[in-house]
Amino acid sequence: MILAMSKIRILGPQEKLSEVLAVLQDLGVLHLAPPPAREHVTRLELDARQKRQVRQLRGTLEDVESVLAAFGRRPAAPVVHPAAGDFARWMKRARRVRRAVDRLRRRLTELEEERALIEKYRQYLALFQALLQSQARWPNAVAYHLVLRTREAASLGRLRASLETAIGAAFDLRARALPTGELALLLIVTADSAPRVERVLSEARVQEIPVPASYGGGSLAEALPRMIERLEVLPREHDAARSDLANLAHTHAAELERARAAIRDRLDHLEATALVSVTDRAWLIEGWLPAESRGRLEERLRSEGGDTVVMQELSAEDWAAGEAPVVLSNPRLFRPFEAVIRLMPLPRYGSIDPTPLVGVFLPMFFGLILGDVGYGSILAILGLVLHARSEPGTAPRDVAEISGPCAAFSILFGFGYGELFGDLGRRRLGMPALLFDREEAVIPFLLLAVSIGVVHVLLGLGLGVVNTWRHHPRQAAGRGLAAAMIVLIIVALLAAFQVLPAAFFTPTVIALLVAFPLLVIVEGVIAAVEFLSMLGNILSYARIMALGTASVMLAVVANRMTGAIGSAVVGVVFALLFHLVNFALGLFSPTIHALRLHYVEFFGKFYSPGGARYRPFAHWKPGVNHAG
Amino acid sequence: MELGLITLSAALAVGLPALATAWAQSRIGPAATASLTEKPELTTTAIIMLAIPETMVILGFVIAVLVMLRAGG
Repeated sequence: MILAMSKIRILGPQEKLSEVLAVLQDLGVLHLAPPPAREHVTRLELDARQKRQVRQLRGTLEDVESVLAAFGRRPAAPVVHPAAGDFARWMKRARRVRRAVDRLRRRLTELEEERALIEKYRQYLALFQALLQSQARWPNAVAYHLVLRTREAASLGRLRASLETAIGAAFDLRARALPTGELALLLIVTADSAPRVERVLSEARVQEIPVPASYGGGSLAEALPRMIERLEVLPREHDAARSDLANLAHTHAAELERARAAIRDRLDHLEATALVSVTDRAWLIEGWLPAESRGRLEERLRSEGGDTVVMQELSAEDWAAGEAPVVLSNPRLFRPFEAVIRLMPLPRYGSIDPTPLVGVFLPMFFGLILGDVGYGSILAILGLVLHARSEPGTAPRDVAEISGPCAAFSILFGFGYGELFGDLGRRRLGMPALLFDREEAVIPFLLLAVSIGVVHVLLGLGLGVVNTWRHHPRQAAGRGLAAAMIVLIIVALLAAFQVLPAAFFTPTVIALLVAFPLLVIVEGVIAAVEFLSMLGNILSYARIMALGTASVMLAVVANRMTGAIGSAVVGVVFALLFHLVNFALGLFSPTIHALRLHYVEFFGKFYSPGGARYRPFAHWKPGVNHAG
Repeated sequence: MELGLITLSAALAVGLPALATAWAQSRIGPAATASLTEKPELTTTAIIMLAIPETMVILGFVIAVLVMLRAGG
């Protein structure tokens, strides 16, 4: 459900503003909103000192975050109230440490680049060693060390032709493939033709690898022994730089974590100040909070603000429901499924929160598709492992908690279908199918899937009627009529197939013929198209049967492999691999399609997105978005 | 001969929509990936968009199963 919100206004004398903001930040329940513009009421501007402080704090925060990112992931520090002078001290320390960290990061990058460069030269030397070592015997020649990238390798012929055009046959061009897929070239020409050759190379955009000046220039053959020596020293220099970085982290990380928390907290406070309005003598704060927290805030303001600070609740007529932030609040069992709702834009305040329904139908659809005791049990174990290794309130914990009901429904329907790793349970343990055997009973499974679709879509339409009845009665009537027509179609079909008495057929068809023009009158011509797409939505639930049948067939094929391949061991290995692939598909596919059935087929009938996220003005906590 | 034709019909019922689905997803996939690099919050929409064409092959599969069952019955 969506928690009921109250909009409140707090007024007080100017000398109490800082104190009240501190109370609000401590309590952390008020979602601030700038009060609407009125005569003699203006937005509070930060003074020059505060603006300078914001700029300095933002700069320091950037330094601190850059440094902490280089130090790696660490537990975040809680907010501490800084002492006088702490911010100035943190600013200096952050700047100094950032300079040191940047220097070390640059050093590490240079060392890595140098190592990569030497490795490349080493490969080059290995290919042309004999030729390069005889370079001293070419007194009047120039050697070019070239590399053609993989996709340019075909242009070698064109390069040779261009060289022949420019200098005739007076050159030697050797090509060898590098392990990286590039093509290494050694081009030797006479000294007097070098300028023309360089022009050809430039026009052909061929990349030359010059001998780095840091190795004393000269030929590649002369520089290489020095490069190999460096290669031995480089890991030690790299380790030393990493060790310096680790020492810096050990000395400064904890203090900078504290600084980050305090700076963010202070920035939140200053940004909240900008959401206050003032008159000549008083100030005015407006915002939303859960109705249940109103008393607590009032009491705290009375005890700490005294009689001069007044809090009043604005009546619901004074604010539009669409403006209020949304807080989803559901029983513990359904709470993990709020993550599924949060993947979409939040529902508007005052509309329906579908979390409990998702909490029932999503695992049910998943179980209907996977439906295997073996796979369900493995999923339960994986869910328990993930639960043990994840932190509360994180996405992995939500996934772990959602996987529990999904595994339970998979096991439940596994007993219904008599499946344990496909037909293994039935063949080896004589496991009976309590509902039906999915391998054989394709039509009953299809009927079950479409029937669930009818129930789900009708439920969505019913919720749509409830959601729109107050503000859009015409739309609500249209949805109600569409729901009634779906019921009539089902009754007519059941009567036609003699599941219901045949006498039902004619009255329901007449009722349908009357209802259809009514629907067009209520909702316009587009209603006819929408009604047809609604029938398509119901048929879309056939995917439950299609994916379920595909899943069991793959499991059966996996089991048959043990007998089909000559060696029993090879057969078992192949069967296990196939089961593994099927299990992976069995996790992914039902999740995506169960979500899609909710987001498209179900939510499309009633869900009104557009709710604002509730961001109370509070002390900074890592991983939480705040007001401001 | 008749069994061959029925089997071919079932194969076409699932094969042609599979090609159509593949074509649609080959267009949606790169577009969705490009959008996600700029707006990661569109992940859900991207997944839904990618799953929508699968309806074709799923319904094709259902039809193919029904065709095969008719042949068996």
